[in-house]
Amino acid sequence: MKHPAGPVFGVLTLAVLVFIASPFVILTLFAFSEGSTLSFPITGLTLAWFDRLFEDREFWGAFSNSLVITGSVGVVSTVLGTMSAIALTRAGPRTGSALRGALMVPLMLPPLVLGIGLLTYFVTLGIKLDLITVILSHVVFTQPIVILIVYARLEKFDEAVIHSARDLGATPLQAFFQVTLPIIGPTVIGAALVAMALSVDDFIITFFTIGGGNTLPTFLWGMLRKGMNPSINAVALILMAVTVSVSVLSMRFIRYRN
Amino acid sequence: MALALRRPAHTALAAPSAVFFLVFFVAPALHLLLTSFWQMRSYKLAHDFTLENYIEVFTGYWDSILVTFGMAIVIALTTTAVAFFFAYSARFVVPRWGNLMLALVMFTLFGGYLTKIYAWKTILGPSGAINSALIATGAIEQPIDMFLYSPVAVVVALTHYLLPLSILPLYGSLRSIGDQSVEAACDLGARRWRSFFDIILPQCRTGLVVSFTLAFLFTVGDYVTPRLVGGPVTSMMGVFIQNQFGSRFNPPLGAAMSFSIIALSALVIGFAVLLLTRIARPR
Repeated sequence: MKHPAGPVFGVLTLAVLVFIASPFVILTLFAFSEGSTLSFPITGLTLAWFDRLFEDREFWGAFSNSLVITGSVGVVSTVLGTMSAIALTRAGPRTGSALRGALMVPLMLPPLVLGIGLLTYFVTLGIKLDLITVILSHVVFTQPIVILIVYARLEKFDEAVIHSARDLGATPLQAFFQVTLPIIGPTVIGAALVAMALSVDDFIITFFTIGGGNTLPTFLWGMLRKGMNPSINAVALILMAVTVSVSVLSMRFIRYRN
Repeated sequence: MALALRRPAHTALAAPSAVFFLVFFVAPALHLLLTSFWQMRSYKLAHDFTLENYIEVFTGYWDSILVTFGMAIVIALTTTAVAFFFAYSARFVVPRWGNLMLALVMFTLFGGYLTKIYAWKTILGPSGAINSALIATGAIEQPIDMFLYSPVAVVVALTHYLLPLSILPLYGSLRSIGDQSVEAACDLGARRWRSFFDIILPQCRTGLVVSFTLAFLFTVGDYVTPRLVGGPVTSMMGVFIQNQFGSRFNPPLGAAMSFSIIALSALVIGFAVLLLTRIARPR
């Protein structure tokens, strides 16, 4: 269908695109800008802010914490989530849609409420806050996403191939690792990457459950509270680059068959 | 069915997740609910049942609750409207560019929360991108302070953050509307706005509800955006809730605040869904 309302719609659409893109453009410009005041005009380009950041020990501490947390969250939520997604395909239509609705609750709940809920819970149980509590907390909201993504793929899965494998004498586990997993593999990897992108970017829940130490977002928050400093742009750009590249990668995997 | 096991074996597969959700989601939520009925006495938690926290929330913080819900309604409506416009444009106006537009949106779908808000702080600030650009071109002489630290800054930053999350479900709804049904309406003599209200809008109901609900709940529970770009005028509940677990140290009050805003949000969202169902009903 052709939409004749041409120029007005076109200009407004372009305006929305500019609105969506401008923060990233500005962030990138200032991360490499020579001036230290974050203002136009930009007089020259430099890598000094990155150099200064890379000399900071706390940055590397936050970086390695983020790496450990994101990696663990990816593995735990993907393994548990894929198992549950398989179980979900066996649920009746009513139970199934009720369960899928229940999975949305941790996703819809404001992260602040989830964060304070887990914080008071851990403190009451006397569990020491550290990277483990952050990992457990992240899995609460990443696992439902993995389940929903993998379930959507399994719904379109052709059961006949499994039956053939079983008829030919494969054990259920053999059938899973040699038939099912190679077919749904790309989606599972994509779902793992989505979980990791959400984990690496999370600030609110991490803030409440980490105790001491930093991840990249809480490190950025600490810098913001200390006042303006051009290295902030460098951290922000690194964090943004990590989330965007993981997201783009995950899209490629999930689109693979859909 | 992917494992070809009998039913009990399948149910067992979900056991680890089920235990995890009970221990780390259901139990903490119930514990927080219980906490909201307890009290702090000389920096210690007293486990006696009282409604005082809730009374304090509604007597001492009603003005902040109003500000929070006002902001949430404005942001949820703005986000949904802009997202709908963008998704509509990608689907019907410039369908050739639709996939590319969506790809750009998806890039930041799963992240960039703190970075985006920080970016808006630098853009809107007194020496930020907008002001310095305006000064450099000679449009103004003094920087305009009111961009940053105002409710408007919160609306801009949060709308920007929530847009991708809203565009996705709306584009999904719009893509499932076939060209034929719209063309058929036109052939039968329906005017464009008529086919828009009778065919397109009703089919987007789910997308609109998801978008509004997500944006509303996120705003109600947010404290980072008001603290970074909202300034002291924008006293939103999230900031008060966070304080009860920081400097003010009163978890029971913070818990009562959380459950109050969630209950009130459920009311507002329920009402909004009802209203939307009426507006977007095929006539």
